[in-house]
Amino acid sequence: MQTRFPNKILPYLLLSPSVIVVLIFFVVPSAQSIYASFFRSNISGTRQIFVGLRNFEQLFTTSEYLNSLQVTLLFALFVVVVGLSLSLFIAMVANQRLRGFTIYRTLLIWPYALSPNIAGTIWALMLEPTIGMATNAINTLGLHFDWRGNATHALLFIALAATWKMLGYNIIFFLAGIQGLPTEILEAGSVDGANAWTKFWKITFPLLSPTTFFLLIMNTLYAFFEGFGLIHVTTNGGPGYATDLLVYKLYRDGFIAMNTGFASAQSVVLLFIVASLTLLQFRYAGRRVFYGA
Amino acid sequence: MTKRVLRFCLFWHAMSGSRGDVIKAFAEDFNKTNKHGITVKPEFTGSYAETVTKALAAYKTGKPPHIVQVYEVGTQTMRDSKAIIPIHTLNRGDVDFGDVVQPIVKYYSVGGQVVCMPFNSSTAMLYYNKDIFKKAGLDPNKPPTTFDEVYDYGKKIVTSGSAKGGISFGWPAWIFEQMYGTHNQLFANQDNGRSGLANEVYINNAFGVKVLTEWQKWSKDKVLVYGGREYDANAPFLAGEFAMLVQSTSSLGGIQNSAKGKFEIGTTFLPRMPGYPTGNTVVGGGCLWVMKGRSDAENLAAWEFLKHVNKLDNQITWHKKTGYFPATNVAVQSLMNEGWFAKEPNYLTAFMEILVGVDTPAGRGVLLGNFVEIRDVVGAAIEEAVVNMKDPKTVLDAAQSKTNQVLKDYAEVNK
Repeated sequence: MQTRFPNKILPYLLLSPSVIVVLIFFVVPSAQSIYASFFRSNISGTRQIFVGLRNFEQLFTTSEYLNSLQVTLLFALFVVVVGLSLSLFIAMVANQRLRGFTIYRTLLIWPYALSPNIAGTIWALMLEPTIGMATNAINTLGLHFDWRGNATHALLFIALAATWKMLGYNIIFFLAGIQGLPTEILEAGSVDGANAWTKFWKITFPLLSPTTFFLLIMNTLYAFFEGFGLIHVTTNGGPGYATDLLVYKLYRDGFIAMNTGFASAQSVVLLFIVASLTLLQFRYAGRRVFYGA
Repeated sequence: MTKRVLRFCLFWHAMSGSRGDVIKAFAEDFNKTNKHGITVKPEFTGSYAETVTKALAAYKTGKPPHIVQVYEVGTQTMRDSKAIIPIHTLNRGDVDFGDVVQPIVKYYSVGGQVVCMPFNSSTAMLYYNKDIFKKAGLDPNKPPTTFDEVYDYGKKIVTSGSAKGGISFGWPAWIFEQMYGTHNQLFANQDNGRSGLANEVYINNAFGVKVLTEWQKWSKDKVLVYGGREYDANAPFLAGEFAMLVQSTSSLGGIQNSAKGKFEIGTTFLPRMPGYPTGNTVVGGGCLWVMKGRSDAENLAAWEFLKHVNKLDNQITWHKKTGYFPATNVAVQSLMNEGWFAKEPNYLTAFMEILVGVDTPAGRGVLLGNFVEIRDVVGAAIEEAVVNMKDPKTVLDAAQSKTNQVLKDYAEVNK
């Protein structure tokens, strides 16, 4: 449905705030990054040397960047797969009409409301390898969890914390999705004698695909971009380079090492990765998403 | 009527918590008492690394802070940034830098001239928990002095069940540098970067490999508990999870306070390996730099505040409340006279450590371009060896070539 504005200027005027915001906070910095990625500059930024594609070349010939890429993919895979399955499960449970569930549903959003740094601090304290309360509990089970002293544990630790933080957000969307499902189809399923398992896989899950698809994109973007605060207050990318996600590496190269050109090249690559990922998802997954009649 | 000039001075620092409070008190006191109507506004701007970056970014935009606190790793970067005013040019004979404690003034001097106001200087020392030592059947008044003793004591502590671990480090990459200093080994060429811009580091030489191999051995046998890249090891040390901690002397105030009533703290010099000459532990901590880009009047206002910080009383307060060295000899003398060191022997350890060392290029500490990044590389390399158990030589070779590339890139653009 289209509405025709009688005034020719008004629609542009109404659009302008968001266009200006996008220009200032996205287009201009992105253009600057692309520009800066062809240079190497001194610390105070007063001297720049044109280096062509050398910054990009350096990226793909250093093992650290390739390692960072691999770590990020693993991390993203965990956050998306574990995060989405777990949230869908919790959303299904929270959808039951049980006493007191309105309160639980409200509480479920809390982790999302925390800043990544706070979430990181909480997890770091709870799971402090030697004196953390949760660590002690795990140790009594005969397991040993030490994210500071074990590279695999470190990555798992970061992935778990990131997943936990996104749970609330995912659950809220899944819950809304489930509650919006047409009840008559589910009832028809019951009449036909489908059990809960079959109803979930044959009816609920396919009908939820628009929500799942949306969350898939949001979580992937989250995994690529938002891990920073978490890592900054916990592992600093270590031990070694075990949790050196792309965003964190970018921060270290840009803001710690003050290697602006090299960091800009990384941000350009990151932009490219995420853009193509989103495109791919739209093209591939878009066909399979059922948006209803 | 004199012309009214802006007497406002922005001071960016990286001291959080109780250290930040002391700085705030210095500024408030200065604002009330100075005769020039200067107002200093201290602002906590994040970690050391973040503060340097922010200050240089602010310089680019034309609004730098008047004074910025930069840690020792940033010294070469600040010098090369061309964004600073060496403070000896502001000094019109009103401060005698000859009175600054020697190893400190030497660290921050270039060609015999002091470039920034020494403020929070520290070095590394060994802290130990005397109660755990007793429990393990060790003499609490005989802390380890060599690498072998650290290992033996650590084993004894772990096997006797007196604590879960033997030793841990704060700032491991810095401790690695300290090892070069105390064993009088050069860390980089050009006399550790002091006679010219260094373009090669020696982190993968026989000495570096030996240090890291020892640490890895400690770690394999659970004597070394890896404790993160900065101050994270302090909390478990205070909780009695391990018996020894190599950490900055600046943690002394905090550690003594927290341990009070729980266990007794002992301190001693950094452990050494036999067969190497004596050098010195390296001065760390930070220095106050005056930045370019402001008016002369404002620069003088900054200088007035730096003089205030350097005053006897403030030096004494700063030392007592934090554990950082008093920077001036008069402050040290005054502390001696009042019997402070006799009452607080742990504060003396740190001080003796830098004073008994030998003044050599290696012992004076290293200046490197982009040292912040280099320390990050070394920190990760240490983790690869002591946590991920990779071969020390391989790890250091990789770190070496990366570091040399960093130095090369740095030299290329910062001429």
